[in-house]
Amino acid sequence: MGILAPLFFAGLAGLALPLIFHLVRRIPRGRQEFSSLMFLSPTPPRLTRRSRLDQIALLLMRLAALSLLALAFTRPFLRESALLSLQDLPRRRVAILVDTSASMHRGTLWQQALQQVEKELEGLAPQDDLALYAFSDRLERLADFASNKGDNAGEAQANVPAAELVRPRIKELKLTWATSNLGLALRRVAEELDAAADVQQSLAEPQLVVISDFQKGSRVEALQGFEWPKRLQLIERRLETPKPTNAFAQLLASDEAAPDEVRVRLVNAADSTGDQFFVRWADASIAEAATKTAAKLDPRRAVEGETAVYVPPGQSRVVKLPRPPKLLADRLLLRGDEHEFDNTFYVVPPRKQEITLVYAGDEADNDPQAMRYYLKLATTGDPLREVQLPALNPQQPDAKLLEAMRGPLPPQLVVAVEAGSAEWQAALKTYVEQGGTLLFVPRDQKELASLPQLFDGLEISDATPRRGENDFALLGEIDFTHPLFAPFANPRYNDFTRIHFWNSRAVKLKTQPVKDEPMNPATPHVLARFDDGQPWILERSMGQGRILALTSGWQPDDSQFAVSTKFVPFVISLLDLACGTTQPLAGVVVNEPVPLPTLLADKRTTPLTVQTPDGQKLLLAVGETKFEQATMPGVYTAGSGTDELRFAVNLAEAESDTASLPKESLEQLGVRMGRDVTRAQELSHMRQQRDTELESRQQTWRWLLAGCVGVLILETWWSSRAARVERQSAEAVA
Amino acid sequence: MPPVEKNAKSATHPRGSFLDPAALMRIKSLELRARLVVQGFLSGLHRSPYHGFSVEFTEYRQYTPGDDPRYLDWRLYARSDRYYLKRFEDETNLRCYLLVDLSRSMGYGSLEYTKADYAKTAAATVAYFLSKQRDAVGLVTFDTQIQEILPARFRPGHLHRLFLALERSPAGKGTDLTAPLEQVARTARKRGFVVLLSDLLAPPESLELRLGYLRSQGHEVAVLRVLDPAEIDFPFNQAAMFHDVETDRELYIDPVFARQQYQSRFAEHAAAVRSLCTRLGVDLYDLPTSQPLEHALFDLLNSRMRRGRQVARKAGVSR
Repeated sequence: MGILAPLFFAGLAGLALPLIFHLVRRIPRGRQEFSSLMFLSPTPPRLTRRSRLDQIALLLMRLAALSLLALAFTRPFLRESALLSLQDLPRRRVAILVDTSASMHRGTLWQQALQQVEKELEGLAPQDDLALYAFSDRLERLADFASNKGDNAGEAQANVPAAELVRPRIKELKLTWATSNLGLALRRVAEELDAAADVQQSLAEPQLVVISDFQKGSRVEALQGFEWPKRLQLIERRLETPKPTNAFAQLLASDEAAPDEVRVRLVNAADSTGDQFFVRWADASIAEAATKTAAKLDPRRAVEGETAVYVPPGQSRVVKLPRPPKLLADRLLLRGDEHEFDNTFYVVPPRKQEITLVYAGDEADNDPQAMRYYLKLATTGDPLREVQLPALNPQQPDAKLLEAMRGPLPPQLVVAVEAGSAEWQAALKTYVEQGGTLLFVPRDQKELASLPQLFDGLEISDATPRRGENDFALLGEIDFTHPLFAPFANPRYNDFTRIHFWNSRAVKLKTQPVKDEPMNPATPHVLARFDDGQPWILERSMGQGRILALTSGWQPDDSQFAVSTKFVPFVISLLDLACGTTQPLAGVVVNEPVPLPTLLADKRTTPLTVQTPDGQKLLLAVGETKFEQATMPGVYTAGSGTDELRFAVNLAEAESDTASLPKESLEQLGVRMGRDVTRAQELSHMRQQRDTELESRQQTWRWLLAGCVGVLILETWWSSRAARVERQSAEAVA
Repeated sequence: MPPVEKNAKSATHPRGSFLDPAALMRIKSLELRARLVVQGFLSGLHRSPYHGFSVEFTEYRQYTPGDDPRYLDWRLYARSDRYYLKRFEDETNLRCYLLVDLSRSMGYGSLEYTKADYAKTAAATVAYFLSKQRDAVGLVTFDTQIQEILPARFRPGHLHRLFLALERSPAGKGTDLTAPLEQVARTARKRGFVVLLSDLLAPPESLELRLGYLRSQGHEVAVLRVLDPAEIDFPFNQAAMFHDVETDRELYIDPVFARQQYQSRFAEHAAAVRSLCTRLGVDLYDLPTSQPLEHALFDLLNSRMRRGRQVARKAGVSR
């Protein structure tokens, strides 16, 4: 015998009513008017008669009617089968998804996460399927359904509960520094859970348990447009830390006009409680000292070297933070929040690139009619490069310089304006073949004669050189895909029509290059032509180096190029081509592939060594153009010597947005949130469901209600009979 | 002067020869009721207890200095050479004040009519009777305070106004005899006859002072105590919540147990009132509402007649 709604037993309290009614009759119903009560005093109640209930039969009938009514409302039924056990619960397919992103470094979140995984495993029934995933910006499968219930696990493991098989894998969960892409992870796992392989799997109830801090920076865009499986429920295990304050600092790109004014942006999370932060430049030693003394410092006062910044929660501030002149700072340190994991922003310490550019010509460096003068002006004042511009006479080359050109550290670029002696030409050839870059600009028609020696298939044309104010050539065709002209590719900068060329040395290509034919490295490749089709810039590669030639120089006798706005970018582009780029890599985040510059990528013959911030040395195979193992924040160093590339890897900005992601935002994307029910609750729910079914089949309440009505009819008849008898006896007495 | 005993009177007057009070009360007009009662009653003048110039001689009295020499009987002086004053039975006009209690307790009645109805009829009857004798009649109705006042007059229409005043007097609240008795004492300077119609369901102590004051002013006071038979016999049998109509108090009473106590307390109260009246020289007449009205008048007038003679006799003895 079971009862569906025991709460209605409270209706039995109604049994007091007939009792009260039967006792209430003791109070005299009669009311007698009298002129004055001055001669009367109240008569005490006669206890012997009044405490006795009369009309016992009526009372019993009324009690019975009420009891039957209350019992009918409790909806009793007869239980047929035994009680349910955990084994009777439907089989589930549970996927546990653990967040291993950088924001889990906060407080005790990671410990909580591991404990939660253990708890989930304990809550599983033996027949349940289980898969374990870790996610950050990528999804990692630690244990899938097949591994604990599949065929390859063997018959011996078939009876072992899934939880026991997965438990050793928990140790493989590792906290990373990557950003979290919750949307992608949910999507992948949901797809996997939805794809049932057999009937047994499709009958099992799929569940996705997500153990995460659900920070606002977790990307959920991937769920947009994704149709969430109808049966799949997401059970949210939200980990929380009692200290919400979190901020991060970020270096903004410097303004080119004022490279010394470094701007730093500070962002405070929306749910922070603190609003006072301190930021400073630091190197490794300062950072170490700061970590040791962090606990002793006053959280509201700046120490020496720090700049105080007030940032209200949910807002950001940009401050100027000049680099300390004598400090080789490689990081920004933030103090004032409660979580350390994102308080360091790494930057590559600036270092001037030292370049030697040999000018082969006999002009004075202060002659405004000569090319050297303009080349010197264009290369000085670059904050990122220090260019040495030694000159030599090609007719009598300096032995020291010649030696240097052959040595292990040759000059990066040689600009020659005349052919020079045979010795010099031989030295140049060797230099170029070893990887040097030569820019040959024939000063006059005489010097042009040596050009066909450098370029095969080129002959000097006899065209008359132009003269005169109104007789000039313009550039007609430029190959903007070439690295030399790539900076001008933007339509805003690609207007070369204001540059007038008065003098040019006419050359002619013997054979026009045919498309889709492998190019002979010795044949010239025209990068720019004049409007009459004459080549202006020619290029060829030789050995590991390259030769560039200009048929018209930049000196005022030849053209307006030196005084145009295009000249300085052109020289910088030329230096980039010769020495590699000087631009530091901006905004590299953890796990992002780092593109290697051409020098490091193309010209390597040996594996490249990359040193990680924790001192580990990784080897990058020949032919690799990207470094993909930036798994932690810090400064990485690739290569060595002049080819050394240093790049800073930082945490993704989104990872510092640690405010809690509202549950609704997931629901808006169509995710079905499941209720957090324990197995016992589920069991009782199932039991209740079965009882309801049983009760609705038996419908005992109808019989009880009919009994109640019957008793009430009997009661009515009985009371009317009693009243009639009483009336008759009263009349008889009267 | 002992008060007239109710039981003795009802024995002398057989029930059938009088008007049935229930039948009388069915007559709506108060005037008609009074006339009916009086017509069935005696006719003729009542004797005045006071001496003065009149027709009927009563006695002689020896002159003492200070007596009015107008009353000297010169003839007797001539005969006996002594000064005698000649005294006559006075036939003055009586000034009668009817004080009718209309408190809520008077609204009670176990018969077809209430005590107030009965009291009003009695008052109307007395007024009618006296005005027939050309006596001046005044009326004061009251509960806790005075409701109506008509000064004692004898003039055409006065009796009619008196009847109207009696009829429109509604049932009041509590009983307070102090105010009406004081009022009468203030306004009636001249000695007269004060008839109080009330159930006297109040502590007897409160009555004593006021009645004594009236008496000291020389008024003759008669109290007609109107009582319902249920108040006298307490004939209830069912236990019930008894509701005091005057104070709205409710008590649970089982009459079986309470009757004896009630009757003894009622008798005590009646005895206290009676002894009080005796002490003050006030005539007390019990008027159970079940008795014919004529009894009341008969008793009242009978006693007044007797008093008048006694006064005359006493005067004769003193001479």
